[in-house]
Amino acid sequence: MDVRVRDLGYVYPTGVEALRGVTLDMASGEAVAIVGQNGAGKTTLVKHFIGLLRPTRGDVRIGDWDTRTKSVAQLAARVGYVFQNPDDQLFSRTVGQEIAFGPRNLGLGESEVRARVAAALETVGLADQVDRHPYDLMQTQRKFVALASVLALDTPVVVLDEPTTGQDAAGVERIGSIVERLQAQGKTVIAISHDIDFCAERFPRVVVMGQGRVLLDGAAGDVLARAEVLAQTYVEPPQLARLALRLGARRAPRNVVEFLQVVREEVPFT
Amino acid sequence: MLIYLTGRSGRLHGLNPITKVMLTLVVIVCGFVLPGVWATWLVFGSIVLPLSLWGGIAGPLLRAVARITLPFAISLFVIQGLFFPGGTPILSLGPVSFKAEGLQFALLFASRLFLLSSAFMLLLLTTHPGLLMLALVQRGLPANLAYIIVATLQIVPRFQARAASILDAQRARGLETTGSLVRRLRAIVPLVGPLVLGSLVDVEERAIAIEARGFSLRRPKTSLIDIPDSRAEKGLRRGLIIAPVALIVARLAGWLR
Amino acid sequence: MIALDAVTYTYPATAQPALREVSLSIPDGQFCAVIGANGAGKSTLCYALSGFIPHFFRGELSGRIRIDDVDTQAVTLAELVQRVGLVFQNPFNQMSGAKFTVREEVAFGLENLGVARAEMQTRIARTLERVGIADLADRSPFALSGGQQQRVAIASMLAMDPRVLVLDEPTSQLDPIGTREVFETIRALIEERGTTVVLAEHKLEWIAAFADRLVVLAHGRIVMDSSPRQVLTAPELERYHIGVPRYVQAARAAREIGLWPADRDLPVTLDEATEGFSSSSSLSSTRLDLRNSRNSGN
Repeated sequence: MDVRVRDLGYVYPTGVEALRGVTLDMASGEAVAIVGQNGAGKTTLVKHFIGLLRPTRGDVRIGDWDTRTKSVAQLAARVGYVFQNPDDQLFSRTVGQEIAFGPRNLGLGESEVRARVAAALETVGLADQVDRHPYDLMQTQRKFVALASVLALDTPVVVLDEPTTGQDAAGVERIGSIVERLQAQGKTVIAISHDIDFCAERFPRVVVMGQGRVLLDGAAGDVLARAEVLAQTYVEPPQLARLALRLGARRAPRNVVEFLQVVREEVPFT
Repeated sequence: MLIYLTGRSGRLHGLNPITKVMLTLVVIVCGFVLPGVWATWLVFGSIVLPLSLWGGIAGPLLRAVARITLPFAISLFVIQGLFFPGGTPILSLGPVSFKAEGLQFALLFASRLFLLSSAFMLLLLTTHPGLLMLALVQRGLPANLAYIIVATLQIVPRFQARAASILDAQRARGLETTGSLVRRLRAIVPLVGPLVLGSLVDVEERAIAIEARGFSLRRPKTSLIDIPDSRAEKGLRRGLIIAPVALIVARLAGWLR
Repeated sequence: MIALDAVTYTYPATAQPALREVSLSIPDGQFCAVIGANGAGKSTLCYALSGFIPHFFRGELSGRIRIDDVDTQAVTLAELVQRVGLVFQNPFNQMSGAKFTVREEVAFGLENLGVARAEMQTRIARTLERVGIADLADRSPFALSGGQQQRVAIASMLAMDPRVLVLDEPTSQLDPIGTREVFETIRALIEERGTTVVLAEHKLEWIAAFADRLVVLAHGRIVMDSSPRQVLTAPELERYHIGVPRYVQAARAAREIGLWPADRDLPVTLDEATEGFSSSSSLSSTRLDLRNSRNSGN
């Protein structure tokens, strides 16, 4: 589903102008990473997609819906938002019940709910934990429970707020493949992340925000090479990009394979 | 989250917290032991009000006390006035009438409530909670209790912020929080549950953090902050004990009607 | 010196041990990093090194844990806190809540230890300088960013002058700025004097550059214990679900196609990688090949 943001401005009740005219278009099947320092407006922006915030000026459309005309609960049918802190969501006695909560709110029948719970658990690798109390799991596993709860909603748009915090390599890998799978299903995946290496590897498109504005928006390989612009919002290029740039390349390789290509094509003769 | 106001004239602020605690207690005892509504207002007018003016906090104090006592006072007057058993009616409104004894009772109660809250406001507006707790701990208040009170004060705003995050997170999963009563009741567990469960985790971590800094060590604690005190204040505190003790004795001996 | 001798530990009401036959001896002044998948036992190890296991968590413990010559099971937790400082993931939960300014927060531990006021003031001033937070001294601990709070937590521990500082994933919940601030603080600490530092982390790039020693935990056991270079370039590292650093991956792949000199060690830092690729004569000859093939119209 398309997400369309037009000249979005937002001022918090405290008077802080968090967004100063953001315009973005995201199409179905796109995976976009949003990066930038704390306070750049990333979370403020994505909260508009689920209707938790209403524009002060400009508008946001999810498909054919103008978010200003829909409630949060209504938008939850189209936008799945995975919050950063799983403990802000978990209250059920078992993992299974927790994941069933969202689909039940959507009014789905019991057999459909059960099917979705099973599928979501399979995707996050917690099928054997279905009857455990969420708080018996490690915090990083609870993050997967929260993710599964949103996957079970099967929304066309999925928003992930810092999905890899605290995860080990296997966890990051699993989240990355979930992003790819969602993308393959034609969903629009939007992630806010400080883990720039994760962004480079899993997101073909990167949006860089600073001071309530979009500073850069484009292919990861181009955007992540612009070290001076990234520095304005306290973002460092990913590890391989930094290496390639030091060697004289102009593009940012997103993974080892691209790195080797970039080195062979762009590194000047020594 | 602190009631404490900074930046005023500072006269009351600079007093030792225990002095102020004693003042509060003296005011309360006097106001409750002396009979009659007039005594309560006498104590307020001769002690609390002048002190608050001297300390530069009269305005905020009166506003805070009014906010606390007015709702109570109004309902007291209505309830006691209308439903005091077997009283003499003095004002009729159709089928119901206000009874004199009821209104008198309400007046006494409300006046004492006014005095009580103004006495506490005098203390709380001019005393930093950290200093107050430190002074009490130095005089024997259990350190654990003092810790709980102060930590609660500082962490409650965070609680509120978390509650707001939880509300957002659950709404984003389709939880309806407005509308019928049934709907709103159903929303309680998903909203309160994470708050409580998450807090248990936080509490355990914080317990480890303070333990790692020797909170449970069984030796006398020292303090970075030196609480101001003076001989004059020490003398005042000794003197302040006399009045309430004398009043209580007088009351028990039946010398006060 | 801090040591674990054949320690096996199981949390209460748990079937599997969290640590199995762990033996580890860390000499004074060493900077030892601990890595491993989530659930491998990093946090448990940190609690064991700081005395919280067994005193706070109870459970079943066999083997010995020694801090200098003190057996942690033979003394109370209160006696251990002076020797070992502990900093963990959540910066907010380490703010005691008992104090209203950063200066008083740092004093909290010293007050509990019964340190005299004059000495307290000196130690606090020195610690605030060391950690670089002297400008935050009068701010409320709850009005700070995560990175600032974490540094206050570190300062609060350092003020008590522990021999060892144990940090359990201190940058997990921080943004890049906060992460850098905390790593800088740790680096300054290591460089200036002999505090032993044990750091459990996932962010390998920084550890590779600064740790003296790298220990890998898997399923409660130590499976590797060596220099960062040896551990991070070891082929079997992937088996333990630890992300091989990208510089290593890139050089390894490059070596297979002749873009990294075969006789050169795999790099673990950006600088090493840059040097290695820049000096690669195979790289130069590859360029030459490409040029030639272009010139001859292929």
